[in-house]
Amino acid sequence: MLLKKKSLVVKGALFIAASLFMVACGSDTATEETVIPPTEDSVSVEVETEEVTYSLPSPLQIASIFKKSGLKYKTGVTSDLKDPAKYTSNLTKAINLGVYSADLSYTVLNKQNQEAMTYMKLSRQLADNLGMGTVFDQGNLSKRFEKNLSNEDSLAYIIAELQMVTDMYLDENDQQQITSIVFSGAWIESMYIGSKVYVKGKDKELNSKLAEQMTILGSIINALKAEEKKDPAISGLIADLVVIKDIYDALPSVKNNPEGEEDTEKELTLTDDEVSQLTTKIEALRVKFING
Amino acid sequence: MKKAFYISLVGLVFVFGFTTIQTADNCDKKALTTSCKKKLDPYKYDSQKFTKINFTKKAQQLEVEVPVFIGEKYRLVFNTSGMPKGIKINVYTKDKAAKKREAIFSNKDAKADETQLIFDVPRARKMFVDYDVPADSTSAKLTGCMVFMVGYK
Repeated sequence: MLLKKKSLVVKGALFIAASLFMVACGSDTATEETVIPPTEDSVSVEVETEEVTYSLPSPLQIASIFKKSGLKYKTGVTSDLKDPAKYTSNLTKAINLGVYSADLSYTVLNKQNQEAMTYMKLSRQLADNLGMGTVFDQGNLSKRFEKNLSNEDSLAYIIAELQMVTDMYLDENDQQQITSIVFSGAWIESMYIGSKVYVKGKDKELNSKLAEQMTILGSIINALKAEEKKDPAISGLIADLVVIKDIYDALPSVKNNPEGEEDTEKELTLTDDEVSQLTTKIEALRVKFING
Repeated sequence: MKKAFYISLVGLVFVFGFTTIQTADNCDKKALTTSCKKKLDPYKYDSQKFTKINFTKKAQQLEVEVPVFIGEKYRLVFNTSGMPKGIKINVYTKDKAAKKREAIFSNKDAKADETQLIFDVPRARKMFVDYDVPADSTSAKLTGCMVFMVGYK
């Protein structure tokens, strides 16, 4: 009897020890880290470096930059497909939430309030379909948007606040990949709008802003690659964006003007033919996005 | 006999509970976001980046790339209150692979109790936020949470 009792206590202790061992091992393997081999110049302290992560801008900031450069409102250039139920996969839902976000920002900054209200409602529906519709209720964002329809500045701040609660929601739920996918959709839509308006007016400043936006495409692709494990469907989106980046990198204006390390204010201008090459691919990808 | 088993079980619960408390990452994202937002005004919210940090026996360098655009004015607000101990924060205009780079912001002169740091960004084409995490030779398995918020106007 005494022996059995001792045996049980010993088993319990072993179980605890094994559990402790598993907890300890689990913590150690939680992050993937690469060790940089020491070089001749490095200090003696060994430093581990993880892969670089990315903080992407908001669709509203992109729309604001284009607006400041003189981007006018053009009727009919925003997405006209208004059926969020069409999108069934999380990837297409998130991409088109980005498309609507860009359209929402563009219409708000150009005082197209009724259009803006439509895109707000569409965004809400897609967010609901992604299971994150509650972000629109935080701080009465939806209601405040409706009440402030005549005030462009207030609407812009409400959209910025909506972006903040959305980012926080996705972070808390470990869905950072959605943030990157949404921004990809928003970026393509913003570039599409910018290029369509450019074709009409050939404004030089708008041309430079289109070229400047192209410089963040690499960051968007890398941000998506970092999240690829969470949703393998992201791979197709990355491949589509890489095609556009390759076209941009091969343009003569770009090859002849590599990004200056010191000249921080130097702006690149593309030829009309180069803009046209980019626009064709961007437009095709936008059609693919919207068709789901 | 049953008593001995229950003693073992209680011990197990205690150990698991203690481990969980010890490794909690102090990351109340809502509270961190709210406090950053207050310091962001009058800039408009653009984005935020949370980084979970696990202290290990080796020092670490973590980097976040932040795209910025010509002619825009930016503010970065860092919040270190989710960290169990201090780390170095530096902001550069070149990434860590660059042979030569100088920090345009550093927290080296910040007071120990200063958990929120504001950085109004000078003209730049790109920003790289680096966290230099010191080695932790103890067995405490410390974890923490760093956040910065980006605003523009």
